[in-house]
Amino acid sequence: MRDPFTVLGVADDADDAEIRRRYLALVREFPPDRAPERFQELRAAYDALSDKRKRLATKLLHTNSAALSRLSMDALRAGSTDGPPARATRQTVAVLLAEGITLALPELSPPHSGDGSKRGR
Amino acid sequence: MRSPHRHGPGYSAPPGVLACRGTEALRQERFKEAIELFKQVIRQEPRPEWKEALADAWRGRARDLAAKGMFKEAAMVLENTIAAGGPVRDPSLYVTCLIRDGQQPKAAAYLLSHLGAPEAQHDDLEPVAAALLVVVPRLPDPTPGTTPEQARWRELAVAARAALAAWCDGAPAEEVKRCLNAISLRSAFRPFRLLLNSLITAPADADRTRQMMETIAPGSPFYPLRQAVMEAMRRETAMDADAWNRLTPGQQRFVAETSGLAAPASQFLGRLAAAERGGPGVLFNFLVKQSDLPQADVRNACLNLLPQVPDRMAQFEKSFGALSLVERCRVQALIAEARSDWETAGRYWQRTAAAIGADKATGEEGRLSQAVILRHLASLATKHGEFDAAEFHEDPTIHFLERACAADPDYLPSRLELIAQYRKASSPQGASFTASSSTGSSSKEWHRLVDETVRRFPEDASVLHQALDSALARKAYKQAEGFARRLLTINSINPGVRRQMIELQLSYARKQVRTKRPDLALKALTEASAWERSDTPSAPLRIVRGLVERRVGTAEQGEAKVREGVELAGGGVAGWFRARLEADLIKDGDTSWLHRELVRARELPPTPDAIMGIVSAVGQPEAAENRKAITSLLVGMRSWLLQAAAIDWKPAEFEAVADMLTRFEMYDLLRDYAEAARERDPANPAWRFHAIVAHAQGLPYRLTVREEDEVATLAKAAVDRQDFHMLSRINRFMEGDADLNRRARHHGHRGPAVELDDLDDDEIMALFSAVLTNMPSEAAANLRRRVNELGREPALTELVDQMKASPFGPGMPEPLLRELCAAMVAKAMQGGRSQSGGPKSRGSRQRSFF
Repeated sequence: MRDPFTVLGVADDADDAEIRRRYLALVREFPPDRAPERFQELRAAYDALSDKRKRLATKLLHTNSAALSRLSMDALRAGSTDGPPARATRQTVAVLLAEGITLALPELSPPHSGDGSKRGR
Repeated sequence: MRSPHRHGPGYSAPPGVLACRGTEALRQERFKEAIELFKQVIRQEPRPEWKEALADAWRGRARDLAAKGMFKEAAMVLENTIAAGGPVRDPSLYVTCLIRDGQQPKAAAYLLSHLGAPEAQHDDLEPVAAALLVVVPRLPDPTPGTTPEQARWRELAVAARAALAAWCDGAPAEEVKRCLNAISLRSAFRPFRLLLNSLITAPADADRTRQMMETIAPGSPFYPLRQAVMEAMRRETAMDADAWNRLTPGQQRFVAETSGLAAPASQFLGRLAAAERGGPGVLFNFLVKQSDLPQADVRNACLNLLPQVPDRMAQFEKSFGALSLVERCRVQALIAEARSDWETAGRYWQRTAAAIGADKATGEEGRLSQAVILRHLASLATKHGEFDAAEFHEDPTIHFLERACAADPDYLPSRLELIAQYRKASSPQGASFTASSSTGSSSKEWHRLVDETVRRFPEDASVLHQALDSALARKAYKQAEGFARRLLTINSINPGVRRQMIELQLSYARKQVRTKRPDLALKALTEASAWERSDTPSAPLRIVRGLVERRVGTAEQGEAKVREGVELAGGGVAGWFRARLEADLIKDGDTSWLHRELVRARELPPTPDAIMGIVSAVGQPEAAENRKAITSLLVGMRSWLLQAAAIDWKPAEFEAVADMLTRFEMYDLLRDYAEAARERDPANPAWRFHAIVAHAQGLPYRLTVREEDEVATLAKAAVDRQDFHMLSRINRFMEGDADLNRRARHHGHRGPAVELDDLDDDEIMALFSAVLTNMPSEAAANLRRRVNELGREPALTELVDQMKASPFGPGMPEPLLRELCAAMVAKAMQGGRSQSGGPKSRGSRQRSFF
């Protein structure tokens, strides 16, 4: 299992309320019917952090808790501006739409079913 | 593949023949050949159906090329149909090939001039067309003869492009909104409108915006933009490296731009994600160099990596200063765990817990941390058991759990686990650790801890169940009743508790009847009925009440009650067996009428339900303690039970029946059941196992060498097919449960079969002498009787046969065995003088000579 703090994107000193809020926000984003695997991961991470004793056990007994979430937040806090939301460039939006168009195109396969037995007879 | 020209003179062949060949080539997906043939046919006679066939051949060829990644060529092949004056045969394939070839403007122009055209279906292309018309640098010029539908598409595309331009250029929200309002929510541009709208209105109603965006499905061309917008909107919770890592570079750029994130921060997240992918060593090296970030957080992250990179300990201490004792011990413990060195891990965890405990400044968190580690130690002791037992004066699991409960008394799961451990240690089977861990002291600890826990968690059902069991074990019935009532207030149905309390009162009532106090028994039965639910009446309660009422003089009423109980117990043999059993348990003298009813019920052939009813009856706790009564009842029904061997048992039912037969030592029946089952289903190895158990009479040391090998093979096969039920049964049999050991002692056996090969001649003679000296008087009398009945030689042969089946048999050569038996016969015929020669053995009660 991946580090539950990282999965939920919370710092290792987050309290019950913060963890729950974050978990519910992520579950809204990745509900079990649409993203079952991600939901399972979120559920397992929440189970591991849902109370103080579990969090202590995760922090003390596990080796994969690299506390990277905290560092990421430090970096973002240091790098973000306090002004109103900025705008992306047209080029960036175009890149994302082009990505989407490519993903939405149908997969191409040869017209025959695949065994090729009919060909060249 | 053969060239079409080799089939014959193409130009000279009539069109019909060529068309036939072309159709065949098309059917066999030889598209190049089909194209050539149909081209020739059309040159001679341009019939519409042959033009159609040629278009089909072009489509097939284009799909072949596209599947090979030759998109440009595929598009060109499809354009042949346009050159021939018709529509593109496969618009979806054509647009896909153009886009994959990087010809977005051409694809956009094609779509804009063909969407809504009556000759082709383009519905599936509409979402792609909408995205494409937003993304192309310039909208294609309008073509003459534009339909109203195509004009509408152009208007929508213009509005979407204007809205995007306004948003990107930082125009006020109202202006962007005005452009967006021109986009119909029923059009294929709807997702785009929602996304752009979210970006300008998100903070006002984030939840609703999110819900709207969730309608954009993963298959939509707007999905990557939707993901980026959702991440960008998550302003209340900061982005982490993991979430950043999941984004594509385009999405990362979008989030960085919309969040106003400085380039170094987004670069840091990217490098952090890359370092994480490189493994703990790379990540450690990356983190240790981060001087711009808060050093406490960097140190924490590096500390957590240390168990995975133990060689960086010195580097860590050089960068961040010395590790504290707690940190050092924890890291060492985790390193040891990674190597599966549980003893070292245990030692370091104990030091960690001690160091935390010694640091008074840690407060509540320190106490909870200590408890977490002690619970972990208990779990390690249970799973790996590699702690030095001499270090502790009790079971290490109990030792650590006791300390964990002391450190964190409010944590219920630890207490329940410790209660379970005490219970296990207080049971005769569980007390196998050290002499100091006696069952008595564990029992006291069990009850003490339950009392303390129930005071601390008075409303918890699992605790109340434990309290009920503890009270029953202490015979504190009033207290037990109180706990049961509290449990019923939590769950008024609770069939387990009701059954337990009814059984308790029934047990008391039976005892009162046995001591000739039917009045008190009736009182107890009335109290028992208070625990019944009207929808689940108790069969034994009615039967016992009926029997007691018969005894106190109300025979008719009593008999009616008994019959009612019999029906509730399944009727027929199962019901009357139950009634007969209850009569035996209360030592009712007048059982003849029950016996008659049971005999009458046995006139019907056995059914699985009837047999399972008997299994259930003999499984009740008090009945199980009255082996003698049950055994005599079962022996009386032997022939009826034997008929049930022919039933096609389900495996689970068979196991239940086999357990009963084993428990009451009806091995001949077990053998018949096993053999009948084996005939019906030879592939199931369970039958052979039961046949072996029957032959060994349930005692593993009676197995012959061959049978032992067979059991080992069965166990291995069970492991291979992951049949853990079977494996557990085999283990139970081979290890011998307490009951078996008790019976073994009862039969005078002291251990595994004597391996005569290991003994020399003197030792064999000493063994013979001991057998002869200690021959029980009843065995000698039996032997004399058999000699008188059969004659000396046949009786000797019979004895030899019996000895062969005994533990001596398999290891002893027959002549030696015969010599011993002859000596025994001689000794017995001397008049049983050996009666006073040795101690009386309990084995003399056996039916056989031994």
